[in-house]
Amino acid sequence: MSTNEGNENDAFSIDASNSATNNDEVNTGSARSGPSNDSEGGSKVVFLLKAAGGAPILKKKKWALPRSKTIGHIVEFLKKYMKLDAQQQQQLFLYVNQAFAPALDTTIGSVNDCFSSEGTLVLHYALTQAWG
Amino acid sequence: MSIPQIDDKEITRELWQSRLPVRFILSDEDTTKVNRSESPEPLYLMLSRHIYFPCIVEKISRYYSNYFKGNLNDPTNNINLNNLWFEYESIPLKWHYPIGVLYDLYTSSLSTSSSHLPWQIIVHLSKFPESELIRFPDIECIESHYMTTLKEADALKHKGQIIGDMQKRDHKQLWNSLLQDKYEGFWNINMKLMAYTENLKYFRYIPFRIYILDKPFIQKLFSPYDVEHSKWLTLFDLLQYSLDHEVKCEKSSNEKKITNNNVDDYRVIIHGVEPPLNTPVQWLSECFSHPDNFLHICLVENHTRR
Repeated sequence: MSTNEGNENDAFSIDASNSATNNDEVNTGSARSGPSNDSEGGSKVVFLLKAAGGAPILKKKKWALPRSKTIGHIVEFLKKYMKLDAQQQQQLFLYVNQAFAPALDTTIGSVNDCFSSEGTLVLHYALTQAWG
Repeated sequence: MSIPQIDDKEITRELWQSRLPVRFILSDEDTTKVNRSESPEPLYLMLSRHIYFPCIVEKISRYYSNYFKGNLNDPTNNINLNNLWFEYESIPLKWHYPIGVLYDLYTSSLSTSSSHLPWQIIVHLSKFPESELIRFPDIECIESHYMTTLKEADALKHKGQIIGDMQKRDHKQLWNSLLQDKYEGFWNINMKLMAYTENLKYFRYIPFRIYILDKPFIQKLFSPYDVEHSKWLTLFDLLQYSLDHEVKCEKSSNEKKITNNNVDDYRVIIHGVEPPLNTPVQWLSECFSHPDNFLHICLVENHTRR
């Protein structure tokens, strides 16, 4: 079962799940096959949040969200969860592949479909433009 | 008699030069607060399909500020150029999508008239829809957005190797060429992003986004070449795969509304044209992408055709 942190409210609750979701097997043989963190079999995307660029480190690193939640939703959640001040809030960025910051209305489902690697989706959060 | 062949460069040049005539009209609500005896005339602009609205916000702001001299930043009036936003048929327009994509998606899906040109957009200077839009950012933010999209495209095509090896001044040249409408300046650098890596004769995965009205965009991993069957995959293959995958995800999430995954029920629009569905997707990615190196594909259901 998931545990919720005390200072979350319903609108921003993320399950801090320690168990992986039921992922489908990779369909091999076709050049088109997606990564093994295929969320077709489960309704939630599991991802790791890692600190970069001097950002505070989270105790809970593994999170799960429905596919349709956006990057913006995660950003808003982190602003409250990490209790960022107004200036820090302007500077919060979420990166994929330690290379690019998806637009805030991108769904976590599509980020997962394209950029999870070896069964895991890793997102880096930073309080500076760590990767431009 | 032989049929003259159009080469790819002519096509990329045509796309680069494509324009949209737009008519901006001030909202009724804001017109009542105008500080002059006459209401603003509609503003007509010829815009490149692949720029973003914030690139022209300054021009628009200057135009309307003439009509509000004296009370433009009066807080009791709620007229404030920071509250500027654009609307088409009650839809607030997102600033981070290329203008042409917004036009193709919304006018084809929504408009009640048969003619959509010039594209009529309503300019609002008040009542910013906070829950639906992010305010138009400054030009550095749009440049960041453009660069990050380019990096994402390269991550898909080349594991980010090519853009990672580029000099900062090359990145700058891409953006500045886009702003200044310099086709040669742009493609001198962009062609590096069209190269192949790792002994492949194609991109590892194709950067694309599928837009359907009222849905977040669909983006999947799709290789342009089927190694097992030694064949080039087509636009139809890409669409069928993406829609099928999306439907599977929706069903396992118990979504109430399942996307129609019958490709034949849609018009497929890229850069305002409907390419043949048997076009190889590798070619489309090289020649028909936007300057951000993504294929932006609008799907409009046939029953909404006017």
